[in-house]
Amino acid sequence: MREINKVNCDVLIIGGGVGGLACALDLKEKQPEADVLVVEKNFAGYSGKANRGGGVLQYFELDRITPEEFVGFHATQIGAFLGDQELMMRYVATNHEMLDKLVAWGVNVPKKEDGTYHVMPTGPFTSMICVDLDITLRMRRRAQKLGIRFMDKTAMADILTKDGRAVGATAFSVLDGSFYAISAAQVVLATGSQNYRIGSMWSSGRGDGIAAAYRAGAQMRNAEFGNFAQLVRVKSHNEIVFGENFMYNAKGEHITKNFTDHRETDINSTAIREWYYQMKNGNGPVHLDFGPPPPQAEGGGGPNMERMWNRPYGVKFRKLNDESGNTVDRDLEVCPMFIGEQSPIKVDHGMRTTVDGLYAIGDCSYCGSALAGAVPAPPGRNRGSGILNAVFAALQCAASLSEAYTGKNTAEVCMEAAEKSAEELYKPMERTGGAKATDVVAIVQKAMAPVEQSIIMTEERMAKGVKLVEEAKELAKTLCADDWHALLNCREAEAAVLSAEMHYKASAVRKESRGWFMREDYPQMDNKNWLKWVIVQKGENGMEISTEDVPIDKWPVKPQDI
Amino acid sequence: MINTKHRIEFDSEKCVGCQMCYKSCFVDVIRWDSEKKQPIFKYVEDCEHCFYCQSVCAKEAITVIPDYSSEHLLQSFPEYA
Repeated sequence: MREINKVNCDVLIIGGGVGGLACALDLKEKQPEADVLVVEKNFAGYSGKANRGGGVLQYFELDRITPEEFVGFHATQIGAFLGDQELMMRYVATNHEMLDKLVAWGVNVPKKEDGTYHVMPTGPFTSMICVDLDITLRMRRRAQKLGIRFMDKTAMADILTKDGRAVGATAFSVLDGSFYAISAAQVVLATGSQNYRIGSMWSSGRGDGIAAAYRAGAQMRNAEFGNFAQLVRVKSHNEIVFGENFMYNAKGEHITKNFTDHRETDINSTAIREWYYQMKNGNGPVHLDFGPPPPQAEGGGGPNMERMWNRPYGVKFRKLNDESGNTVDRDLEVCPMFIGEQSPIKVDHGMRTTVDGLYAIGDCSYCGSALAGAVPAPPGRNRGSGILNAVFAALQCAASLSEAYTGKNTAEVCMEAAEKSAEELYKPMERTGGAKATDVVAIVQKAMAPVEQSIIMTEERMAKGVKLVEEAKELAKTLCADDWHALLNCREAEAAVLSAEMHYKASAVRKESRGWFMREDYPQMDNKNWLKWVIVQKGENGMEISTEDVPIDKWPVKPQDI
Repeated sequence: MINTKHRIEFDSEKCVGCQMCYKSCFVDVIRWDSEKKQPIFKYVEDCEHCFYCQSVCAKEAITVIPDYSSEHLLQSFPEYA
C-alpha cells in the first residue's frame, strides 16, 4: 500500500493564484492564529492567470456612477437578468476597498502625481487600472511574512468528505508522487476555470477543482456559460482585445455594423457569430482595420491598448509576445479562438458551496456565484473583472471562514477516504497500455473548439459535440501515465471531459438565447420561461440536471416583459 | 494547446541558478536539477509559449522559440483548423 503522509491545518486553500492568495491574506489578517495552508500544483505566486494576461483591474469611478447605476447597466446589457444583482451591488461598492487591500499587500497599483490611481476609461460605466504582472508574487511575499504555509508542486486529488461535510483533501507531489491526506476544518477551492488547453495564456485553467467539487457532490450553476472565445491573430494566436469593433470582411465591408450599432464594451458572441456567417458565406477572411479609429474608440481599445502596457514587467512580457507573433502574422487577419472559462461551482454570497465546509472562489466559481449573469467569466464582457472578482470572492470567503473559525483543527484525517482517493488517483500509473492524456484532451477540444458547435449552437450541431464527449469519456477509462507529470495531465484530462459534458447537457436544457448564450434554433430571450439557472449535480446514476428560478422579484432591475 | 513543437534554447553559461524560470512555469514544463543547479526543460511538448520563463530570466539565458504551426485553433474551416 502506498504511504499516506498526514498533514493538518485549520484552513486549506487549494490554488495559489490571485484568489487563493487574497483569501489566505485576508483570513490571516482577520485570524492571525489560524493555520492557513496553500496547496498549489505549480508555484503559488507564479501560477494562475493574473500574471499572464493584461494585469487589468476593473475600476468604478464611484463619484461619477453609483453601484445602482452599474447594476442597472449590467443587468440589462450584459448579465441579461441572470446575474445576482445584490452580489453585483456589493462588488461595485467594495471596488476601492479591494484596491486598497491590494496596495496594503504590496501590489504596485499605479498612481498619478496627484496621488489618485492611474485610470483608463473603457466605456460609460467602466474604467481600468493596469498593474504590473508581479501582482501575485508580491502577494505571496506578504503571505509568507504573515506565516501562511505553502506546499508547492503539490496537486490536489480529491476533496475529502465525512457525513457530507468537507474535512480536507488528498494531494500528490508532481515531483515524486508522494501522497498527502490533509485534514482541514474548512477547504477553499481557488483552482481556476476550465479552458480545455486551447488558448495559450488560459492554459492553466484546467478545471480540476471543478471536477473535485463535482465528485464531492457540490452543485454547479451556469455551466452552459463556459464557452468564451476571443478574436486572435490567425498564426500567433495573440488576442486583440476590443478588435470586434473593427471587423471587415474580404469585400471591405465593416461587418461590425451587422451586429451592433454602438461600441461594444467587450467581445460578445454576436461577433463570433458574425465571423462564422461571413466565413460560411464565402466572405472571409475577416480582418481588423483600426484606422482611422472611430470617435467612440477614444480612450478605449485597439491601438490605444498600447498605453496600458506602460509597466516594466508587462512591457517585456508583451514585447516578447508581439515580436515573436509579428514574425508569423503579417496583417490583422483574425479568427476566433475558443477559450471556455467554465466556472460553475455554485456558491452563495459567502462563497460557500452546497457542500458544508467547502468554499469556491475566483475563476472556478465566477459563473457559479451568478455574479456574471448570462456571460462566460472572466472577463464576462467586463474587462478587468477577472482579477477583481477573485479578490472580491476571496474577501467574501475570508469573512465566512473567519466567522466559522473555532480554533485549532484537531480532527484526524479520514484514512479510509484517503486510501480510496489514492487507489483511484494512481490507476493510470498501474496501466501498462492505454490512452495518453493528450489523446483524450484532443477529442474534447474537437468537441468544444468549433464555434458553431459550442457557441452558435443548434441541437443538431451540439449532437456532434456530445458524440465526441462520449468518445472522450470512454477513452478516459483507459488513461495511462508513466510519471507524475503525466498523472497530473490524466487528472486534468478527466476534468476536461466532465466540463464538456456539463456544457452540453446544460446547454441542451436552456431552450432560448440569452446574453452570450446563443441557440440558433431558439434565437429569442424567453423571460417568461427561462429566468432560471440550470443546475448540474452528480447523482447516483450519473449527471443530473435541474433548474432553479432566478429570484428576479427581489431585485431592482427586471425585464419589461414579465 | 497540446503536443506543441515549441523549442526552448538555454545558455547554461549565463545561468546563475536563481530558479525563477523553474518557478515561473505554470504548466510544469520546467524542472530543476538540484545537482547542476540549473533548469531541465523536461516536458517541452506541453509548453504554451507564454514567454514567462524568458521574461523573468534576469540573465537572458532562455529563449523561447514558438512553432506556431504546431498550435491549432480547430475551427471548421481548413485555414483555421
